[in-house]
Amino acid sequence: MSILQVRDLKTHFFTQDGVVRAVDGVSFEVGLGETVAVVGESGCGKSVTALSILRLIPKETGRIVGGEILFNGRDLTKLSEEEMRSIRGHEISMIFQEPMTSLNPVLTIGTQIAENVVRHKGVSWEEARRRAKEMLELVRIADPERRLDEYPHQLSGGMRQRVMIAIALSCDPKILIADEPTTALDVTIQAQILDLMIELKKKINAAIIMITHDLGVVAETAQRVIVMYAGRKVEEAPIEDLFDNPMHPYTRGLMAAIPRLDIEAEVGGRRTRLHEIPGMVPVLTKPIPGCAFAPRCAFATDRCRTQAPPYVESTPGHVAACWEVDRVREMAA
Amino acid sequence: MAAIAEASLSAAETRKPRAIWVAIRRNPTIFVGSLVLAVLALMAIFAPLIAGDPLRMAPAERLRPPSETWWFGTDQFGRDVFARTVYGARVSLIVGITVALAASAIGLVIGLVCGYSRSVDGIVMRIMDGIMAIPSILLAIALITLTRPGLAIVLVAIIIPEVPRIVRLVRSVVLSIREQPYIESAIAGGTRGAKLLFKHILPNTVAPLIVQATYVCASAMLVEASLSFLGAGVPPEIPSWGNIISQGRSFFQIAPWSILIPGAFLTVTILAVNLVGDGLRDRLDPRLSRRM
Repeated sequence: MSILQVRDLKTHFFTQDGVVRAVDGVSFEVGLGETVAVVGESGCGKSVTALSILRLIPKETGRIVGGEILFNGRDLTKLSEEEMRSIRGHEISMIFQEPMTSLNPVLTIGTQIAENVVRHKGVSWEEARRRAKEMLELVRIADPERRLDEYPHQLSGGMRQRVMIAIALSCDPKILIADEPTTALDVTIQAQILDLMIELKKKINAAIIMITHDLGVVAETAQRVIVMYAGRKVEEAPIEDLFDNPMHPYTRGLMAAIPRLDIEAEVGGRRTRLHEIPGMVPVLTKPIPGCAFAPRCAFATDRCRTQAPPYVESTPGHVAACWEVDRVREMAA
Repeated sequence: MAAIAEASLSAAETRKPRAIWVAIRRNPTIFVGSLVLAVLALMAIFAPLIAGDPLRMAPAERLRPPSETWWFGTDQFGRDVFARTVYGARVSLIVGITVALAASAIGLVIGLVCGYSRSVDGIVMRIMDGIMAIPSILLAIALITLTRPGLAIVLVAIIIPEVPRIVRLVRSVVLSIREQPYIESAIAGGTRGAKLLFKHILPNTVAPLIVQATYVCASAMLVEASLSFLGAGVPPEIPSWGNIISQGRSFFQIAPWSILIPGAFLTVTILAVNLVGDGLRDRLDPRLSRRM
């Protein structure tokens, strides 16, 4: 059973250079308690997809121009601002990338957690403070009673991200959107935060949408993966299928571009050069008639450049938008 | 080693006085500035106890130089310059503090609204630009000539041109704070407009506002002195440093004390306010204060 269905979502930004099609017809579903990763390089529309779900696209420049976002059967794109506010931080909450600046420097940790609880649960401040302490214990912050009265600058980056997680989970959300939650942290702390998220997920049973450009994070946390490129979904697969048998040339390119220490040198005792995907991400202000990846793709044909590719399903739940799936598979074999 | 251990032990014993001493050592400018202002404030409050009548004329004692009887000398009407200077501190401090508080309060409200609402911002900021384009002394003179002279109208006349400075500062702080990730984070948590503005944005504006208020205070004292000097300030029966200097200027060559002494008081007061302002600026900047 799915708790969130995104259908043909289109979010465009209206700039002086023209219309930027940041998200251009993306569809996916998130099951109850499932972890779905959204991957892709910078500017492919991952974050905009997340912000669209919470309707946090800045009104001055951008707008959801099409599609629907069904949460428990309700279309979020049609709700009033007031109804949306009661969902944000309550039924759907979000963790941002920058723990160093995502907490207000002039309010104590306790206030910032309790505030969310008071707002959405309508309990007293004492009750909310107790809840805040519980949440700090849950995210493994030592000495929670003392930390409640501390300010963000007294905490390290990893602890702040734990506090962000505590705030996000304080009202038992159905969906937690994590927008690159570990990008700004150093590697050992990244591992701790990911472990914490995996552990908490079991406890609270929320669905997680994990937005990341790190395939390592994907492999550790997600059950299903959505690969995005230039505002479109190019491939979607259960986690094992994606790593074992990537269908889309872009996904294959991403995987080849992961630096690896375990591959022995092939030629003359020297390590091989790290693979890269040639070319640049396309400019999103011009409509792309065919496949957005075609200009960078080794398999591209004239059909790829003129006609948008259909979603081809290989095994159940594994789809890719590519005309040349068969040729790609032959090459891999 | 033993000496160090002993020192830290005695530090623990006499913790409180030491803490004050450390605070003074860290912020000598705030300390010196506050001390001067405290002395001036006491002098202004207890003026009737420490000085005689500032308006009493003693024609036989005109233009006396500073002496044991007349500490700061007398002016051309035989009035005691010491008494007049002490009472003059009242006007300067009242003007400085009132203008700083009133301009900050008004400027804070307008600045918050302007920083938050784009539609209000467009209109109100043009009005503020307009006010800033008018020289403050001329605006004050114009306002004062329209009404009867008095302390209240002087205050209003000084507050009006100071407000836009506060508005611009608060607005710019609000504009930069609202782009911070923690504000986006608060919105993503479902915080509504008014609460966002007052609970999450307002506290961030307090530190720069306090610092700006001290500069407004110093500037207001100067403007008041200038207005009084020009004869457009407080009425002559209320001694103010500005009108003491003004009345003494025709006798400057034979009685320089009636100008130099109130002038020195004005200078020291403004210096003290600016010292406090500079010290607070350093102290309230979280990056600087953490290092200390």
